[in-house]
Amino acid sequence: MATLKMILLIAMRNLVQARVRTLFLGTALTLVTMLLVILMGLSQGISDNIVRSATTLSTGHVNVAGFFKATSTDSAPLITDASKLKKIVRENTEGLDYVVDRNRGWARIISPTGALASLILGVDIEEEARLVDVLQLAPQSDYKEGGSQKILGDASKLGEPNTVVLFATQAERLEVDVGDKLTLRSQTRDGRANTVDVTIVAVARDIGILSNFSMFVPKQVVLDLYQLKPDTSGAIQIYLDDIDRSREVMEHLRLVLEKEGYELMEYQPAPFFAKFGTTSGEDWIGQKIDLTVWSDEVEFLMWVLTALDTVSYALIAILIAIIAVGVMNTMWISVRKRTGEIGTLRAMGMTKSRVFLLFISEAFLLGLFASLLGATLATIIALSINAAEITIPVDAVRAILLSDKLVLAIGPQQFLIAIGMLTSFTVVSAMWPSIRAARMQPVEAIQQTE
Amino acid sequence: MGNLLVSLRIVFLIAMRNLTSHRVKSLIVGSIMAFGTMLMVVGTSLLDSVEESMEKVVSSSLTGQLQIYSTEGRDELSLFGGLTASRPDIGEIEDFSKLKQFVEPVENVEAIVPMGVTIATGAGGNDIDSTLADLRRAVEANNSAEIKKLEGQIVQLASLLEDEYEYRAKIAADTEKIEQDLEILQRVQEASFWEDFDMYANKRLMYLDTKLAPLAADGKLFFLRLLGTDPQLFKKSFDRFEIDKGQMIPPGKRGVLLSRRAHERFLKHRVARQLDRVKREIEVEGRSLEDDELLQGRVRRLSRQYRRVLFQLDVAETEKLDKMLRDYLSEDVPEDDLAKLVEKFLLVDSNNFQERYDYFYKNIAPMIELYRVNVGETVTIQAFTRRGYLKAMNVKIWGTFQFKGIEDSDLAGVVNLTDMVTFRELYGKMTDAQQAELEELREEVGAEVVTRDEAEDALFGGDAELMEEGQPVELAEGFDEFEDVDVLERDERLARAGELTYEQEEIDSGLALNAAVILKDRERIEETRRAIEAVIAREGLKLRVVDWQEAAGIVGQLITVIRLVLYAAIFIIFLVALVIINNSMVMATMERVSEIGTMRAIGAPRAFVLVLFMLETLALGLIAGTLGGLTGALMVEAAGFYGIPAYNEIVRFIFAGPYLYPHVTWGNVLLAAVVIFVVSVIATLYPAIVATRIQPVVAMRGRE
Repeated sequence: MATLKMILLIAMRNLVQARVRTLFLGTALTLVTMLLVILMGLSQGISDNIVRSATTLSTGHVNVAGFFKATSTDSAPLITDASKLKKIVRENTEGLDYVVDRNRGWARIISPTGALASLILGVDIEEEARLVDVLQLAPQSDYKEGGSQKILGDASKLGEPNTVVLFATQAERLEVDVGDKLTLRSQTRDGRANTVDVTIVAVARDIGILSNFSMFVPKQVVLDLYQLKPDTSGAIQIYLDDIDRSREVMEHLRLVLEKEGYELMEYQPAPFFAKFGTTSGEDWIGQKIDLTVWSDEVEFLMWVLTALDTVSYALIAILIAIIAVGVMNTMWISVRKRTGEIGTLRAMGMTKSRVFLLFISEAFLLGLFASLLGATLATIIALSINAAEITIPVDAVRAILLSDKLVLAIGPQQFLIAIGMLTSFTVVSAMWPSIRAARMQPVEAIQQTE
Repeated sequence: MGNLLVSLRIVFLIAMRNLTSHRVKSLIVGSIMAFGTMLMVVGTSLLDSVEESMEKVVSSSLTGQLQIYSTEGRDELSLFGGLTASRPDIGEIEDFSKLKQFVEPVENVEAIVPMGVTIATGAGGNDIDSTLADLRRAVEANNSAEIKKLEGQIVQLASLLEDEYEYRAKIAADTEKIEQDLEILQRVQEASFWEDFDMYANKRLMYLDTKLAPLAADGKLFFLRLLGTDPQLFKKSFDRFEIDKGQMIPPGKRGVLLSRRAHERFLKHRVARQLDRVKREIEVEGRSLEDDELLQGRVRRLSRQYRRVLFQLDVAETEKLDKMLRDYLSEDVPEDDLAKLVEKFLLVDSNNFQERYDYFYKNIAPMIELYRVNVGETVTIQAFTRRGYLKAMNVKIWGTFQFKGIEDSDLAGVVNLTDMVTFRELYGKMTDAQQAELEELREEVGAEVVTRDEAEDALFGGDAELMEEGQPVELAEGFDEFEDVDVLERDERLARAGELTYEQEEIDSGLALNAAVILKDRERIEETRRAIEAVIAREGLKLRVVDWQEAAGIVGQLITVIRLVLYAAIFIIFLVALVIINNSMVMATMERVSEIGTMRAIGAPRAFVLVLFMLETLALGLIAGTLGGLTGALMVEAAGFYGIPAYNEIVRFIFAGPYLYPHVTWGNVLLAAVVIFVVSVIATLYPAIVATRIQPVVAMRGRE
């Protein structure tokens, strides 16, 4: 233990003595760590955005949905006898947080001055207490020019019949405010146009681009619009204590439902609206159940994460390679310069492994301090960026980041990964010069200095 | 002067010697530089190529080099789609001829093409429609044997529908309506309906047309994104334009040209389309049916689509196909029905895919309706006008088109072409004569004043393209020009649709939504843009000019984003490389303290040391840069020779096609050279200064 302390002390001393090179290598390492942490933060930020907007707007952690075919060419994203299915799901899900079911519809939304198309999500606000918590209401100024900072409305009023909660961008587009009426227009299953008038009870803040295409109404509105029987629903959304268990829970529920006699669709990792084409061509009639996990329903957004991660990893790999070359070169020169010193140490009886350890410790300390500094700086930068609430001006970037604001999510995980990664790469690069140092014969080493 | 040359020579020699004697340092610094240069050449070349291919696709298929549109609209022009689910409001150019008159004379302008996009829905007709048409013809011809045969078919259809409506009752709240529908279906199956059919033929036909046919609506609707333009001028201006099938809309004639892409992707039989897709994924994306689970899943789902084939066969064809498939699938043919055979046939694997693909197109495709709309056909399309009427029109499909060299781009096929006159009618801008005719018709049929939601629908709606194909959409409600018109006369009108004409003048004088400007010299975009802007300002027109990239909307911005990311990455890489190179150089300098001290001691000035160091790095930079640049250029050229495959849909979209053929330009190489030069100089600055500070006395002291 004492030797280790001594070795660390010597290594420390060497680093301090070789100020210039420590500074250069340290700067490079710090820069790369910063970059790594920021890129990871960006990726995590986007991923959080996707999870948050997806699980609020369009999916549970696990979904039990399905299609109903009245004819072999028809295909409706419906489940019949929803309450029975919900009961089975509730009783058979381990680590369950809560279950809700939502009706899904696609309607044209018409105000006196504008119109747009949107998913309409039928909710029972009694069982969706979480939704009321998650939806942050927007101040009037968010969607109305010259509007006040006051938040009007109340999302829990969705319990009243014929109401709607929409998002700020939609309200702006439709030029409406809380209390105004909207007409929802869609078509019943047998092809007739149908409309329902609803009153806006609240305007929520946008949750990424998904919220441009979604709004909430009481379940009955969707049932009325599509002329559906009560107890018909769109999807049972299961929220778990741990989102990472989604796949496992889905697999389990597949078995349970199969045993209960439900007919299941083959697992297809795609959002429900991508399945109309397939199901309408299949030769069956009646109800089939389709299970998905949250990432399937937003599969069309996942490419953003993949692209960003690919670019990040490629960039970091290149940078680490450059640094590794630098570290190796520096250490090698340092070993040569200190040949005499090594010879003396070895002559005094220091073992090969100690010498090796001495050089490796130098790299280790350098990597550790530099990456610690880099990660800390990056965290500070990220926190200031988040605090500054920078609004992204370019549509394409907004679409790519799935958010109107630039958000970097840096947690202990990213922090530690970055430090661990950079430190170990520095140590690995120092391996070869350190081995060379350890292999030096004391006599030769001393001789060489002559 | 002579002295300077001599000392330069000496400096050069020493620099070269140093480079070779400090091999490790030279190697490390050199390889970092070479790598950086290579990366720059490859990165910028790829990006330029992507931008070029995207520009090619965007500007040569739709936007031209510049686009002009109104400043009055609420939204920006985004011809390839934006972020919201509503049709953008880009205002109107009220009188295109005025704009043309001012812009055409501007220097470097080759042509200005009027445009306007609207969304139309069309119905390809369903089984019951064609059966009823046959029945009508049989009644006309008094062919009672044929009538009897068709009676059987209709009764059969009604009985199938009855089953479906009983299922529908399971989810529908309005059981009353279902009961009414069921009554109709039962009535058609009753013998009494057919007993005295001859006597009341017209009345009964009307009943079948108005009551039975709507019940069989089977989602055969399709969406067309229609670009109204001057077809002849479009063809001339967009020089990659070519006809694929059929023919060009003849001058002065009205009608529609479908984009080959839309025809293949959205109007093709689903089974054929899926087979095409599997083929593409195997050939272009390099997937394999042997081990790719996603692809296997696609094939399994494909095989369950057998009904889409069976539906379209008549009795004789069913027998024929049954026999053919029995022969084809010779080994272990089960004693099953045709459904099972087709399913088995479609369940392809890696060994038989190509063979079955060919077999399908050769033997099965001729029996089925391969496209919902065929070239030469006249179809009824409808669109919401901005006044809120649902405007239905018969248009002739003259042919399909594509753009040479970019046939495979998903972007290049986003719109279908029609003439400006047809567009204006669908959009709701009518000539005075049509207006009067409409008034008359409206009185006749007693159409009601449009309701608010319909009006708004028409103004801001049109997001139909977001709906999944096959979803039901409102058909002919509101005002239908052909409603209550005699059925036989309707057929006649359908036949006449291709004969409608217009004068060239009509195209020019009137409304357009935007206009594409084609330039003679396509490089001078900015300059011409300013010239046009000046003219517009002078004439006081409320219009703005944007380049192809802005006009493309989010698609155009994507390129900018990728470019920014690349530059940021290169900047960061060079920054880190700079630090590392700097460090290596300083280390090397330390080793040469005594050497430099000696030089200084024998009278070399500081500048000599500085030049020596600079020269060393520059020489290294030159060699490394050349090597790296060359490697990069070779890599890009090799990639350009073989083509980089787009391995998924997103990349395919960015590449604007299934392959990217990149190439290197002098600009890419020059940029890399400049950057490597700057990096070399900066990296040497500090070590060189350190070196100049070495005192001659250090050398005297010798080694410590």
